[in-house]
Amino acid sequence: MDKQEIAQFEINALELLKNVMDPEIEINVVDLGLIYELYYDGDKKINIVMTFSTPSCPLGETIKTNIKETIKQKYPDFTVTIDVVFHPQWNTSMVSEEGKRILGL
Amino acid sequence: MNGLQTNNAPDSSVVIPHFVFGAINFFVLAIMIILANTNLFEAYFNNKLIAITHMAVLGWATMIVFGSLYQLIPVVFETSLYSEKLAKFTFWISAISVLFLTYSFWVGAFSTLLVYAALLMFFSLLLFVINVVLSYKKSELKNTSSKFIIVAILWLATTELVGTIIALNFKFNFLTVIHLHYLKIHATLGLIGWFLMLIIGVGSTLLPMFLISHNLKYKKLDYSFYMINAGLLGLVINWLFFKNSLFTIVFWTIIVAGILFFVSFIYESYKKRIRKKLDIGMQYSMLAILNILLPILISLVLLIGFNFKFELLSRVVILYGFSIVFGFITTLILGQTYKTLPFIIWLKKYKSLVGKVKTPLPRELYSKQIATIQFYLYLLFLVVVPIGFLLKNNSIIKVGSFSLLAVSILYNINVLKIIFHKVKNIENG
Repeated sequence: MDKQEIAQFEINALELLKNVMDPEIEINVVDLGLIYELYYDGDKKINIVMTFSTPSCPLGETIKTNIKETIKQKYPDFTVTIDVVFHPQWNTSMVSEEGKRILGL
Repeated sequence: MNGLQTNNAPDSSVVIPHFVFGAINFFVLAIMIILANTNLFEAYFNNKLIAITHMAVLGWATMIVFGSLYQLIPVVFETSLYSEKLAKFTFWISAISVLFLTYSFWVGAFSTLLVYAALLMFFSLLLFVINVVLSYKKSELKNTSSKFIIVAILWLATTELVGTIIALNFKFNFLTVIHLHYLKIHATLGLIGWFLMLIIGVGSTLLPMFLISHNLKYKKLDYSFYMINAGLLGLVINWLFFKNSLFTIVFWTIIVAGILFFVSFIYESYKKRIRKKLDIGMQYSMLAILNILLPILISLVLLIGFNFKFELLSRVVILYGFSIVFGFITTLILGQTYKTLPFIIWLKKYKSLVGKVKTPLPRELYSKQIATIQFYLYLLFLVVVPIGFLLKNNSIIKVGSFSLLAVSILYNINVLKIIFHKVKNIENG
């Protein structure tokens, strides 16, 4: 896979993650801006750097599981690793225009 | 990281019975208020009113609080509950004792049944206290919320101790001072020490989380913690040993200042919220926080005195209790039920299915329409009953009482709908 194909794969994977909802805020994790980075190594390994809307989010583990399962539904033999970070802290500037519309911002 | 501890969450069989029993007791409470009828206008320490109060604070509010706390302890303390078996045993003992205690008050069996019911209640609450304290000891995290919760638990034990002493006195008559004096201490410890401290502890975590607000001034909660505790301790010591009215005003002021720091914290959270539209659960919750100002105003009226005749004074005291139990505590519980219970059940039913199949949203587990009608009927109840009290008009009170009955039925329908939610019509995601 060349760089362009990898970049295209990452865009497609992000699009796929629009199916993963934050069950409390009811916006998908991509539009909500929770996904900070998504890397594909070109060899069936995906690494995601993400955050939660609040560090005390009791649904954090569920959201992570949902992300992994959603990717595995489409790419069953891929390995997905997720790193959760709280720096930088999530804020509204990370929310997409669609997300802002739903939140009433 | 705090909150990612759902693996520590207790089995739902620990939590759910509290919600079911609490919801049923809320219905029973509404029936009791209708049956009490004109007794509500009698002195504030009449047996029917005391029975209603104990059903409200123990059978309804404390029962839901216990269930919620068992779920929240892993989040706030970052550790699992000390013993799930003990929690289940405690539930049965406290369920039996709350019915026994309420019945004893209702039939006025002060010198016979009450003492046994009170001792059983004391035992059950002690078991709860032990379980939470031992969970806290296991925890390495000592944050502001956990401080509030653990101190609230200790105030609960003190409240129950004073309550049991009063009950024992009905049989053995050993106190030198009239029991109403201790009743005031018992009620203040319970409402401020137990409920208020606990609500601040839990609310300061949950409300900003549900409002999605960041960068809050958490120092306000520290001020609130020290002021309310110092004020309450001073108030109780003063009432026990000095009975100095100037001291009472000083300690009342300290407590109120502490409460206002909490209100200011929540207001800041509300102003900084990212999610602008409040759902039904948060509408209730914000109303509850606003309502906290009512008992402050009424207690100020009681403090000033205005030389009320006993009959009017008694009605104002009842209104004071009403504003706390229904205006503040019940409003918050009704709201937070819609925020927490759907998530507890949703996690139980769908945790293993997320990503694999299309799952409903937690809010789709209850009827929004029922919750909204329930909200407006509850508002009617909150407005109408105080008017009925002040005008001493039983017909107006009845309108309010039947509104509460309707609220309790609608609440039960939604709670049962959530609890008995069935996983169905699953499509591939």
